[in-house]
Amino acid sequence: MGVLVGKFKEGYSVLFDRNWPLWVGGVLLALLGIICMAAGRPWGVAGGLRVWSDWLFYWVGLYNTAPTNAFFFSNASILTWGLLFGAFGAALLSRQFAWRNAPKLELFKGLIGGVFMGVGSVMAGGCNVGGFYTALAAGSVSGFAMMAGLLVGALIGLKYLMWEIEHVTSKPPKQKAAKEGGIDWSKVQPWLGAVFFLFLLGWAYCMSFRAYTQEAVLMITAVGIGIVIQRCRFCFVRSFRDPFMTGEAVATRAVAMSVILSVFGFFTIKWFRADWQMIYIYHHWIGGLVGGVIFGIGMLLAGGCGSGSVWRAGEGQLKLILAVITFSMSNSLFKNYVWTSDVAKSWGKPIFLAAVTDYFWAIVITAVVMLVWWAVMAWNEETDSLTIV
Amino acid sequence: MAEWTPDEVLDARGLSCPMPILKTKKIMKTLKSGQILEIQGTDPGTRNDLPAFTERSGDEFLGEEQKDGYISFFLKKA
Repeated sequence: MGVLVGKFKEGYSVLFDRNWPLWVGGVLLALLGIICMAAGRPWGVAGGLRVWSDWLFYWVGLYNTAPTNAFFFSNASILTWGLLFGAFGAALLSRQFAWRNAPKLELFKGLIGGVFMGVGSVMAGGCNVGGFYTALAAGSVSGFAMMAGLLVGALIGLKYLMWEIEHVTSKPPKQKAAKEGGIDWSKVQPWLGAVFFLFLLGWAYCMSFRAYTQEAVLMITAVGIGIVIQRCRFCFVRSFRDPFMTGEAVATRAVAMSVILSVFGFFTIKWFRADWQMIYIYHHWIGGLVGGVIFGIGMLLAGGCGSGSVWRAGEGQLKLILAVITFSMSNSLFKNYVWTSDVAKSWGKPIFLAAVTDYFWAIVITAVVMLVWWAVMAWNEETDSLTIV
Repeated sequence: MAEWTPDEVLDARGLSCPMPILKTKKIMKTLKSGQILEIQGTDPGTRNDLPAFTERSGDEFLGEEQKDGYISFFLKKA
């Protein structure tokens, strides 16, 4: 028995003490993303955030009609709940959950960053996940436009951060001193995490009995995404920002590889389900490009993108909790405005890449663009030519 | 007691990614070779980010110390 306990502790430490390598995250995210697509609702984050605020504004009387998507049991919403649950549970298992306050300036940047991301994600048809990562996997040409926009936005945002460090000083918040004789939370957290995940599994099983099987599958897959993303600290912001900041391209490589893997899975599914061809195809090119720039600035200010803000919120980081709230509200308000006007028509048409070329060349083009991104940033890793800090 | 005596201290408590790294990079430029920087942080990401940073910059990551409510990291300028 002693041997088994020792082995368990060893395995636990590998999974929940040390972080997983980013490339492992890239592979697993591609796999989980393909499962979501197969279940009929590709992975996205902004859609769920919007549903939450749609309901909030309906409840306070700002919107006259009830949202069509349920607050909890709808595809979009449950994916984002699942991401939050997964990240929260994984943070507990890793003893990393804690309320983390931040200086006032940081909290303010979280609020503003959230607004930028909310607006940008409406234009681009999703956040860095729905508008870039999943969009590219699904063959939306707007995904390339958003990628360009995100690179530009990340540069602008980083320039601002550098300016801020030179010109603004902020005081650290008061740190609470650890209470003597209280509960040792670091020992309790893994147990709470385990109970929480067992509850989610049981709940998903129950959902499947009540004709909510699709929602159950999506929730559990999204919980898996949340665990992977928290344990790897998988960060799309880093893939765009770090080459300009530290020169490091490890996150860029992980994201580029993940997109290449995903595109195979998505295109296989789309090939066999012709009625799903236009799933996740968005406004090209103004929507993607301009939305990407706005979103890119926002994610640098907030220090988290669509997925990154949610998983860090699940870890208890106050700045990112605020970012998620303003992201959700601004997305809902802006989308509501867009739906009731003609403004979106000027953002470009949705184009499915494989309808322009064919499936084979669409995969090749997407893979080549990812490889070029990878190669440029790998070259920069050696030469620091693009690094501005 | 501290194993390392810092020449400079960066209080990055409450800051989240990427601010601790950005500030570290800036201060490291002002240090002389052999000087030690202590970075006090609360963001779990810093644990990975600092060793990755020194690996690229050539500086030395000396180690970390768990303090009351935060972690101190120690870097030595190359």
